[in-house]
Amino acid sequence: MRRGFLTSAGVLAGLILAVGPANAERFKCPHTGGNLVFGQEANINTLDQMTSATISTRNIAMNIYESLMTRDENNHPILELADSMTESPDHLTYTFKLRKPIHFHNGKLMTSADVVASFDRYAKVGNQRSILNNVKDWDAPDADTFVIHMKSPQPTFIEALSSFSVPIVIIPSELKDTPAQQLTNPIGTGPFQLVESVPGSHVKLKRYEGYSPNTSFNERTGFGGYKQACLDTVTFRIVTEPGARVAGLRTGELQGVEDLPAKSLPDLKGDKNIKILPLKNWWIQIASPNTSTAPTDNLMFRKAVQAALDMDEIMDAASDGNYTLNVGFQYPNQPDYTDAGKETYNIKDPALAKKYLAQSGYAGEPVVLLTNKDYPPMYNSALVMQQQLQAVGINAQMKVVDWPTSVQLSQKEGPGWNFFFTGWGTQPALGALATMQFLASPNATYRPKDDKGDPDLEAAWKDMNTLPTAEGRHEAFARMQKIVLERVYALPFGSFTKVQGVRANVDGFVPYRIPRMSNVWMTN
Amino acid sequence: MAPDTAIAVADHVDAEDIPEKRQHPARVTLRRLLHHRLFLLGGGLCLIVVLLAVLAPVITTVSPYKLSMRNKFTPPGTDFVFGTDNFGRSLWSRVVWGAQLSMFIGGAVVLINAVFGTAIGAAAGYFRRLDNLLMRFNDALMAFPAVLLAIAVTAVLGPSVNDVIIALGIVYTPRTARIVRASVLVLREMEYVQAAVAAGAGHWRILRRHILPNAMAPLIVQLSFLFAYAVLTEATLSFLGVGAVPPTPTWGNIMAEGRQYMIDAPWIITIPGAALMVTVLGLNLLGDGLRDVLDPRLRVQQ
Amino acid sequence: MGAILLRRLASAVPILAIVSILTFGMIHLIPGDPAAAIAGLSATPEQIANIRRDLGLDQPLMSQLIHWYGNLFQGDLGRSLLLGQPVVEATMQRLPVTVALSAYALVITLVIGLVTGIVAALRQNTWIDQVAMILAMIGISLPNFYLGLLMIILFAVQLRWLPTGGYVAFTDDPLGWLATSTMPAISLALLLAGLLARITRSTMLEVLRQDYIRTARAKGLPSRKVVVKHALANAMIPITTVIGIIVSLLISGSVVTETLFSIPGIGQLLTQAVLNRDYPMVQGGLLITTALLVLVNIAVDVCYALLDPRVRYDGA
Repeated sequence: MRRGFLTSAGVLAGLILAVGPANAERFKCPHTGGNLVFGQEANINTLDQMTSATISTRNIAMNIYESLMTRDENNHPILELADSMTESPDHLTYTFKLRKPIHFHNGKLMTSADVVASFDRYAKVGNQRSILNNVKDWDAPDADTFVIHMKSPQPTFIEALSSFSVPIVIIPSELKDTPAQQLTNPIGTGPFQLVESVPGSHVKLKRYEGYSPNTSFNERTGFGGYKQACLDTVTFRIVTEPGARVAGLRTGELQGVEDLPAKSLPDLKGDKNIKILPLKNWWIQIASPNTSTAPTDNLMFRKAVQAALDMDEIMDAASDGNYTLNVGFQYPNQPDYTDAGKETYNIKDPALAKKYLAQSGYAGEPVVLLTNKDYPPMYNSALVMQQQLQAVGINAQMKVVDWPTSVQLSQKEGPGWNFFFTGWGTQPALGALATMQFLASPNATYRPKDDKGDPDLEAAWKDMNTLPTAEGRHEAFARMQKIVLERVYALPFGSFTKVQGVRANVDGFVPYRIPRMSNVWMTN
Repeated sequence: MAPDTAIAVADHVDAEDIPEKRQHPARVTLRRLLHHRLFLLGGGLCLIVVLLAVLAPVITTVSPYKLSMRNKFTPPGTDFVFGTDNFGRSLWSRVVWGAQLSMFIGGAVVLINAVFGTAIGAAAGYFRRLDNLLMRFNDALMAFPAVLLAIAVTAVLGPSVNDVIIALGIVYTPRTARIVRASVLVLREMEYVQAAVAAGAGHWRILRRHILPNAMAPLIVQLSFLFAYAVLTEATLSFLGVGAVPPTPTWGNIMAEGRQYMIDAPWIITIPGAALMVTVLGLNLLGDGLRDVLDPRLRVQQ
Repeated sequence: MGAILLRRLASAVPILAIVSILTFGMIHLIPGDPAAAIAGLSATPEQIANIRRDLGLDQPLMSQLIHWYGNLFQGDLGRSLLLGQPVVEATMQRLPVTVALSAYALVITLVIGLVTGIVAALRQNTWIDQVAMILAMIGISLPNFYLGLLMIILFAVQLRWLPTGGYVAFTDDPLGWLATSTMPAISLALLLAGLLARITRSTMLEVLRQDYIRTARAKGLPSRKVVVKHALANAMIPITTVIGIIVSLLISGSVVTETLFSIPGIGQLLTQAVLNRDYPMVQGGLLITTALLVLVNIAVDVCYALLDPRVRYDGA
């Protein structure tokens, strides 16, 4: 059964009922108390969740904030701050009944006025405000009801609304005029509230005693579900050095860390005080061709490159061995997954590559691999790809700059670069729709000339967004993936495993898109 | 970190009290240098590094860029003297070629300083009207923390070896200029210079014949220390990820790439780090010796 | 004295003006999109464009420049693009960290440097002198990031005596502060201690050779007393200058040390700002930092003038 795309309130209601209120076996903290210190890899710049798309912000802020809707463990949309949602038969109105009573961290009771204010702010400064492009307006008929009116039916709206990329988190109405990035004192409704945030050092949270868990569920699921703060405090400490994270976990200075380096795993596995928790499919490693310039404007040449690549070797270097070979833009455990176009993946046939190369008329022009040194996996995969391309007679050259520069260069059409190395993490996790936007105009990553995308691709993209049935949209995704792979508009190398680890006395920690601190407890 | 302004410090050691007979000054200098044990030690260390740098193509068999995933993380031993890194590249090759890059960058920065530092310093010290303008600009450049200025300049220029040289040139030239200016300020008031002015000699002639040759000693001492700082700062920049672009085998780059494996493969950082330290030590000893022998202040005292 | 101070302060103004212009030009010449830096990994072009618009980065450079200077004269240094907080606030939050670390490093530098230098001078040409000077030489040749890495491997990973990084404020937990600051402070201090030891030794030797010390010794004053009373007092004058230089070196050194040990100080703040093209943060933060450095230098000059009545500043 495909449940990736929800079409009607019926399906949604069914989903909620399936896990609906059951009095038996609701999660209860086996042990309350304790202070957990978590070693986070990247710096957090802001906790203003509405205006930040970075993983580092989400890691922390999503323990503080909640939204109307979010995703469950299997990435299906679920309700969070609402008890129910009904979609009108003409698909133009979504009516949310808010859960009550919910109190913000400042003690204020949440009402529909706060939801309206949050949507108002998001529409103005929200980083992904295009979610609301097709929304006519929203209003609050009473204190517990929030209604969204659409301009036209949009079968993918609920998928977009429940996205955790840059979620529409609910904040107290008095904060609605805070400019982008400047909401430095986050006040939400989540199980944890902010104690202090010291940029560059740490963010400390504590249990929010006035939290009202969502009793429609018995367990934490995804970003939502029945959540409880068992820990007294959680401190996210910025530890950028991988070696320092390993050392900190070993000494017990840190009770949990993200992104343990693969090289240290064999040793850590022997340590009885440490639990290793791999999170498969953390991101897809990608090289995007520039089809507005030679020689990558030539399909035969791109096919030659595709044929030359040995994905195992590239992924091994990129991840130090922590990877899974993966076809396309979704993972096998996801509802949208398809292996359409799999014949093009991991061909590693230098003879075939040379044959295509001859057919393409390639004459030794330089091929620029644009990568960055800020993200070692991207740098490492470019280095190995360069060697593989050189082996079949392609004059591959590295252009290594820093991340902001490489993004800026990659957005330019014309000469200067031929392959841009990047990684897609959040979007593949959100589903096919979120991912394939990278390959559609405007701003398709394969940089079509004058930003005019391949018509077949654009047609498939349109179908993915507008076909009324989930099956139809899934078929459109499979078609789009096949075109992308066969015409080499992207080279997805494979997927990464992000390894997390906790001390043995930490229980209930299940790796997810963020380190979830609710329903996690510590003994002794 | 860059011991930037440190080079402006006159850190003079006591002179060896060797009685001098009347001899040609260059000979005296050379003889004193050859009697200076630490100078010889420094010279020896530098000579080793220079030899490695020059002979790099001969004494390495594998390209420093050659990936060999099968051999990754080989500890130092018989197959690979210095071991391999996370791509299975030979660290011996990378460290030896790194020596070449360090020497090249250090040498080029010294050259830039010798030319521009002397020109700016002499102009400021000699032509009093230029002094204010040049020195204000100089002071402003020196007011920046050195490493930050270097980071910003390499960010502007780009991450190639040449750009790093220019960045280090911009960071250090004001410091050299200041030292030259100080010498020139003193020299232009000397009687023989005033006599030349009175005799109607041109500015260019006075500078070239009477002032600059006498300002050489402190400059040479400064440049020898500068070589060390340039090597050190270049490594720092590479280590911070803003120096010569990887996979260029600079010592800082090797260490930066090895940083995430420091627990399980420490040799990737300890070996190039040791090479860096030995080089800087050698250059500092060399500079010490030169200063002991050349510093005019000490000569005046005797 | 007051006139000297005023003149010196006035001479700082053009320097800072040039610094601010250079900074503005430089940071805007750096290629790369601050919005891409803020958006982070796997942001869509739409998201990057939204950030650019929200932060006013789509405005022409000239109007950004006028805007910045306009605000500067009203005492407003703007807001960090990356952190969302005012530049002054961000700087003031980080400054105590760097100051505390630098002070700790300065204490280590002074203790090791002065003691080594004085002992070496008093025992000139003995093995003590030679060992001390060799150690000092090694100290000034040891790159501080290398020393830092070696210490992390030894003390944090192998022996597990000290944490690998991070920072605890002294006011929160003095012992925690000591634990987190010791390795960074040592890695900052060793080079400078080497420098100071060498200078102290040579200055002391010069002073010890002077007539009045010889006289004092000849008069039969015990030599330790002579050293403390006369020699050290006189040697302090040049050493003061060196300490001024050391303070500015500490600030410069903090760039690397703070990055290596994940310490939220001013060096890390500014490095991140440059790398992320956080224009207002670089401009404002560098202006504040250089102003402080210039003030330190002025303070040193004044101390120098107070210590040595022969020095008269005529602004040269």
